[in-house]
Amino acid sequence: MNLQSNDLLKKFKNIKVTYVRDRRIRVDISHEAVANFLGMIKGQGSYIHLSAISCVDWIKDNEFELVYHCWSYEENQLISLHTRINRKEAEMISVYDIYKPAEFFERDIFEMYGITFIGSPKMEKFILTEWDGMPPMLKDFDAEAYVMDTFNWTDYQPDWLKDIEKEGGGIAIKPEDIRFHATSPSPTDD
Amino acid sequence: MKNIEIKTTQQRTNPLANVFDRFMQFCQSRSLFMLHYCTGCGAIELPPAMTSRFDMERLGIQPMVTPRQADILLITGYVSVKTLKRVILTYEQMQSPKYVIGICSCTVNGGMYWQSYATAKKLNDYLPVDLYIAGCMPRPEAVIEGLQLLQNKIANNDGHSWKDYFQNYDYYLGNQQHLFGEDWQTPTDIITEAKHYGLEAEGTYGKHTELLAKHQHPLQPLPLKTNN
Ligand code: SF4
Repeated sequence: MNLQSNDLLKKFKNIKVTYVRDRRIRVDISHEAVANFLGMIKGQGSYIHLSAISCVDWIKDNEFELVYHCWSYEENQLISLHTRINRKEAEMISVYDIYKPAEFFERDIFEMYGITFIGSPKMEKFILTEWDGMPPMLKDFDAEAYVMDTFNWTDYQPDWLKDIEKEGGGIAIKPEDIRFHATSPSPTDD
Repeated sequence: MKNIEIKTTQQRTNPLANVFDRFMQFCQSRSLFMLHYCTGCGAIELPPAMTSRFDMERLGIQPMVTPRQADILLITGYVSVKTLKRVILTYEQMQSPKYVIGICSCTVNGGMYWQSYATAKKLNDYLPVDLYIAGCMPRPEAVIEGLQLLQNKIANNDGHSWKDYFQNYDYYLGNQQHLFGEDWQTPTDIITEAKHYGLEAEGTYGKHTELLAKHQHPLQPLPLKTNN
């Protein structure tokens, strides 16, 4: 299917098609039209393989970007369909009806970014079954702060290291490269 | 390398028994079964270390597939918080004496995942680790040298870290509860085991074991039934 000469594209308003490379096409579209567009390229084109859905958190624009990667084995071409949704509402229509593998991609994004896909068969925890904090891939989740107050660190300069240093061994690290200091006493001693 | 001091405190008075004990320790150190819990990428260096290229078996170390029949728990690489639970269950199922070796920088301090919410840092907060082999990832030579160090420790009657888990259970349990939540419970009743081995100490009990006792339910045998 040649997107350039295709009349079908005229059905879509606000569509922007960029030919990135020989076998790579980027399409930007509004989020309401995503399901329609995917239905078209699968049904009338030969883009039968949805290989991934990725997500980007554009926190300053207050938007999420979703990217649907569709591959055609006949054209040997990849269409990446970009769309943006509101970050506050964080809702999107599921494309499970069109591409069955979307179930897993959507579930993954649901747990990592907290976006709800309406109509997806199983909107629940996938891999992080034992995590009950906020979705960890969000830009406003401060992983470093979380790590610092959850875990202890091994000391860089423990006493037993002196014995090893006497024999010519040891750790070569400059003081300014030391990222953290062992938190003693342990966090459980509070 | 660290010099290993020989502990003489536990020597028996009968010299013949002493010789016998040393002999037993030597034999034990030359027959180690290793459960390699391949949590991370460091596991890649184990096949060459175990098989014909570097051949660990000539030192008397063999891989084992179940925790109940293994002496060494080898943690090869980063441990995610979810995996750590399974590692602790596995460790508690092993018979004493048991040894834990942390391979890779990730088990020491989180390694390159130091900033990750999902990776546990500092394995010896949760289990008594005998030995760390640092490196990203350590070469088979380093792994084998580490294992030899452990062998020397055992032969010299110095490999008693496993007792620490019983004697300081409250500390380990406290760290586990801090990470997994207060309702954390494993199927193994460590306190009863500590009593059984005669390894109760002051550190066995504390506020964390009290917390555990409040919600701990004893392990029930699985109901016997057939699927028909
Ligand atoms: S220390 Fe390096 S090789 Fe080992 S588990 Fe971590 S990242 Fe992988």
